[in-house]
Amino acid sequence: MNVSTAHLLYLVFAIGGAGLYFLLPRIRHSRTAVGVVLGLAAAAAWILVLALRVVAPGGAAYFYLFSTIAVIAAVRVITHVKPVYSALYFVLVVLATAALLILLRAEFLAAALVIIYAGAVLITYLFVIMFAQQAGSPVYDRSAREPFLAVVVGFVLTAAVAGRAGDLPAPKRPTIVAAASPAPINSLPAGRLLENTEAVGGILMTRYVVALEIAGLLLLIAMIGAIALSRKRFPSEWPVPAPFSPLGQVGREAEPF
Amino acid sequence: MPGVTEYVILGTILFGLGLIGFVSRRNLIVMFLSTEVMFQGVVINAVAFARLHNHVEGQVFGLLLLVIAAVEAGLALGMVVLLYRRRGTLDAEAWSLMQG
Repeated sequence: MNVSTAHLLYLVFAIGGAGLYFLLPRIRHSRTAVGVVLGLAAAAAWILVLALRVVAPGGAAYFYLFSTIAVIAAVRVITHVKPVYSALYFVLVVLATAALLILLRAEFLAAALVIIYAGAVLITYLFVIMFAQQAGSPVYDRSAREPFLAVVVGFVLTAAVAGRAGDLPAPKRPTIVAAASPAPINSLPAGRLLENTEAVGGILMTRYVVALEIAGLLLLIAMIGAIALSRKRFPSEWPVPAPFSPLGQVGREAEPF
Repeated sequence: MPGVTEYVILGTILFGLGLIGFVSRRNLIVMFLSTEVMFQGVVINAVAFARLHNHVEGQVFGLLLLVIAAVEAGLALGMVVLLYRRRGTLDAEAWSLMQG
């Protein structure tokens, strides 16, 4: 660890300690907002420090740290009695997964994962939980259904797949470079090492453009389906039977044109 | 530097945990949260194999998986809200009308 990283760490600790000082509960002169702001700043600086460290060679410690967090949080997702806490632990799973994707040099997908999952999908889940959750913890949250069989099935599947993963070779050095042919829009110097977002965007817009369009169509279909599902049906839309009219009067009230 | 094997094992563990949760939990919302955990395992697997073969197609698959997960969350939660309005409970057992 060089000096600049250590100084950055001290800065993170100072900011975080100050935020913690304001966040601690007290009777008078409460400054919770200041504490929240300082805490967020400390978290951002901590992420910066991690990013500086992750690009260094190695990184085994980060893999073990984040995989441990992911597994423990996933266990808590499926074991917690309260669904709100399950959703919050799932946020932890998403963040740990994003960190692991950064270790795998998939920076764009990591950012997309945080934005889409932790930002959009989980908020939807929390809305539905707050809408539909009953007071206390009902019996269907406190008792699992066939837990032994479920664990046996999960163990068999996990062991069967993970047991075959033991002899994969080590990953190669990154060699994705810009094409030698001149690009009309964004002319990269030939042979330059592509950034992750550039590489993903390029292949998404060329080889997988049909899949991209189908994904957009799927989102449209899902939107229409969700609207149709959650639409409230008003009584005026129900089929109304025709008012009774005596046999000789049928059609008499129609205006001649 | 951990190899691809560790990532594949981790993705498999997450997938298995999600499967266990989906099968054994009775709350409809927690069941769908478990499918999201399974999605995380699949994304880690896809990106790990992309790293192994040193191209970005696995990351594209991960991106499309995100689309599928968003679609699934939207539709499934709409259906959960609808079912909750019908029965007033989130218990999946309330809808097991077809068991023998």
